[in-house]
Amino acid sequence: MSMQTLTSLSASPPAQSKRNRFRLATGSWALPAVLFLVAFLIVPLVANAFRSVTLGEAALNPWAYYEKLLLDSYYSGIFFTTFKVSLVTTLCTLVLGYPVAYFMVRYAGRWNALILFCMIAPLLTSIIMRTFGWRVLLARRGLINVWATDLGIISRPLDILNDPLVVYIGLVHVMAPFMVLSITAVLQGVDVRLEESARVLGANRWRTFRHITLPLSLDGIATGCMLVFVITNGSFLTMLLLGGGKVQTLSLLIYQQFNLTQDVGFAAAMGNVLLISAMVCVALQTRFVRRRGVKA
Amino acid sequence: MVSVPLSLRGISKSFGNVQALKPLSLDVGAGEMIALLGPSGCGKTTTLRSIAGFEQPDTGAIYIGPHDVTELPPNLRDLGMVFQNYSLFPHMSVGENVAFGLKMRGIARADRERRARDLLKLVRLGDFADREIHQLSGGQQQRVALARALVTDPKILLLDEPLGALDKNLRESMQFELREIQRRLGITSILVTHDQEEALTMSDRVAVMSAGEIVQIGAPAEVYEKPVNRFVADFLGTANIFSGSALAPEADGTWRVALSGTEPVEARITTNKALAAGERVTFAVRPERLLIGPPDGPGLTARVRDVVYRGSFLTYELDAAGRTTPLFVYGQTRAPVPVSSAVRLTWEPDCAVLLEGRA
Amino acid sequence: MTASHVNPPRRRRRPDYLAWGLGIWVVAFMTFLLFPIAAVVVVSFSSATYIAFPMPGLSLRWYARIFEYRPFIDSLIVSLQIAIGSAALGILFGVPAALWVARSKTSAAALIGNLLLAPISVPAIVLGFSLLYLLSAIGVGISFAALLISHTVVAIPYISRTVLAVYRALPPDFEEAASVLGATRWQTLYHTTLPLVRPGIFAGSLFAVLISLDNLPLSFFFGTAQSNTLPVVMLSYMQSQFDPSIAAISTVQMLIAVTALLVLNATYGIDRLTAA
Repeated sequence: MSMQTLTSLSASPPAQSKRNRFRLATGSWALPAVLFLVAFLIVPLVANAFRSVTLGEAALNPWAYYEKLLLDSYYSGIFFTTFKVSLVTTLCTLVLGYPVAYFMVRYAGRWNALILFCMIAPLLTSIIMRTFGWRVLLARRGLINVWATDLGIISRPLDILNDPLVVYIGLVHVMAPFMVLSITAVLQGVDVRLEESARVLGANRWRTFRHITLPLSLDGIATGCMLVFVITNGSFLTMLLLGGGKVQTLSLLIYQQFNLTQDVGFAAAMGNVLLISAMVCVALQTRFVRRRGVKA
Repeated sequence: MVSVPLSLRGISKSFGNVQALKPLSLDVGAGEMIALLGPSGCGKTTTLRSIAGFEQPDTGAIYIGPHDVTELPPNLRDLGMVFQNYSLFPHMSVGENVAFGLKMRGIARADRERRARDLLKLVRLGDFADREIHQLSGGQQQRVALARALVTDPKILLLDEPLGALDKNLRESMQFELREIQRRLGITSILVTHDQEEALTMSDRVAVMSAGEIVQIGAPAEVYEKPVNRFVADFLGTANIFSGSALAPEADGTWRVALSGTEPVEARITTNKALAAGERVTFAVRPERLLIGPPDGPGLTARVRDVVYRGSFLTYELDAAGRTTPLFVYGQTRAPVPVSSAVRLTWEPDCAVLLEGRA
Repeated sequence: MTASHVNPPRRRRRPDYLAWGLGIWVVAFMTFLLFPIAAVVVVSFSSATYIAFPMPGLSLRWYARIFEYRPFIDSLIVSLQIAIGSAALGILFGVPAALWVARSKTSAAALIGNLLLAPISVPAIVLGFSLLYLLSAIGVGISFAALLISHTVVAIPYISRTVLAVYRALPPDFEEAASVLGATRWQTLYHTTLPLVRPGIFAGSLFAVLISLDNLPLSFFFGTAQSNTLPVVMLSYMQSQFDPSIAAISTVQMLIAVTALLVLNATYGIDRLTAA
């Protein structure tokens, strides 16, 4: 789940000339992949959607699980939390990440490779390691508590680890590189001469940023936001291991339903909702980027 | 009937609604180099790609020697081709690039290495076999591309804007070198270019193309000196276009013409076409064929608007009476005629070429 | 006249406050990113059986523990097998399909292009959950094969994506040149196309391997007692114990991945990954 981005920073195919160009492969070359993906991606997902309206409680009323998800206050609360967690994480990574992306593209110079390496290195560690890291830092006898006590900032160790805030810290930590890399990918394509023209034409730094740089990097922001939003929607490890399990989201619920209650129909319905929301986000993002791409 | 090395018989091609090539026929003689010259979109590249086998013509047939190759894939046509950006394989050494065609034909390693070395020697890159492509300069890459195209002794050599990526000086020297090698090997060649100078310098015949058809084909001097219409006149260099009406034939076969404009002037043009008195005519005179004379002499009254120093010659821009477009004249750099001078313009009758169609 | 100014006084540059401000921000951000990871690496050398600061002493006992606790090593081996196996299958399925999709302008190709990339957008937990029922129904159930199939589904988009990007950026001229020079379709594929898209295949496979190694949401549905992947074992270990052995195995896993990244950088160039 972690490194989705590096490659999902969607590049639209370059415009092809009308002329027929040399083609090596024929359609049959795609057949094995198509068969494999239909069998092991499309069929299971469709079957899952089917299960959500036929099994268990859905045997009588096909929409039983969906009604439960939307109307039952406990589950609609989880819905709301999922949305809130993803949204807050997205905004935090954007605010934290944009200046970093800007620095990398415009100022970093020879330091760029180092920053990039530091940005990608966390993506190479398992999410378990990163989550574990926060537990090491924030535990009652963890580094932060010990340092803060030694420095006299706090009198006795705080129970930060079980605070819901830690879930957000953990998520922002996991997602921030995706945001930064999405934005740098687009910012790299913004010609620095456009900013210089604006300066020559009398715009100060802020107005140059506001009227030139920011609008031109909207594609990267959109890509990064949708990416972070979708991945956060699908994560459950951070919620499981941090914050004392107090932040209950849809993915975590699916995990628990599967592990504990084995209510297949209900888990299928939740999975389907998660899948549809992911598809909507991806569709919105491609539509947004494509429309702007045409304009530019 | 003796077959020519390459014969295009009524080939045409459309892409969607766009007709890229109107039915086109062309015979190329043994050892001949023909240049397909024209602006982008004129069909020259489609013609070349049809010969290579990358495009399948909608109608017509392509013959290489006695064989109809229209349906044959590119690899069975026995061609050599130099691509616009050379398309040298970046993952192979110079020697491997040159030997590629032989390898595909199953030639033993020792033989193909020897042959590749011979070809590299031919293009004066004898010691470069082990170099990597990215270590070569543009001109060297161009030579490697040529060696690679010639290594299999192809029946036809196709050259797709072969010198387009080189800077001006290198391009000129490569024009001569390429031409020299082509003549020495006597290989039938098709050169696609949008550079009129390249077409004139290198080829035996130039086919000027526009809107999917050949407008004029002939020896370089012929198409330059005797363009058939305004398009050819303008595309090959600069042309001063005049219009007027035919008056009467002279004894030597030239015609007297009254130039259109406020101030009627008589001029003489050469044509072997039958003209009727009073017929509207359009003709062209090259800037180097216009002569600047003193204001009290005969000819068209004009005033020098600007003089541009061009190194080996001068370009005069002149306003002539009764004309909205300026005239251009090339002149000697010594003793230039000053700006604002009143002058008279004349030309030899055989330097004025009657064009098809109206101006 | 022009050469009269010998050694003009050096003008002091105005400090660029924005650059400094952004630079400090970046350093803070990097600290935030790397701090928890560094903490894990430090803790892995602790001699204590619990996690607490200050550490009582240094030792390598938790690295030894990796080898004592069989599931760690066993699952690491399974993880590597699954990662490499799924990448290999991903190449087999993804590369030919991507080669066709990249050059075909038909709507079928566009549709199949979307299909190839679709698994990226499907939340792994949903894919795993759905696939479990299907594989059980056809008798594969929870097994090594099930792990391999599910990870291959995810490997295909990563490999297709980089191959698509590389092949689309590659002008067809090289293959046309090969073809004019007498190469048949298969010769062109073998001698020209594959060598030229190799960086894309390589980079995509590396992504697929790295993602597979950390794909807990997918793996935890299919693991058996005999074949479990490392993240699943780590998660269950972590839920029962909180000792530095997790830190040690995490550090080892990170070293494997960082080595892979350095190889990638040396062969393909890290900059090109973000530029694509």
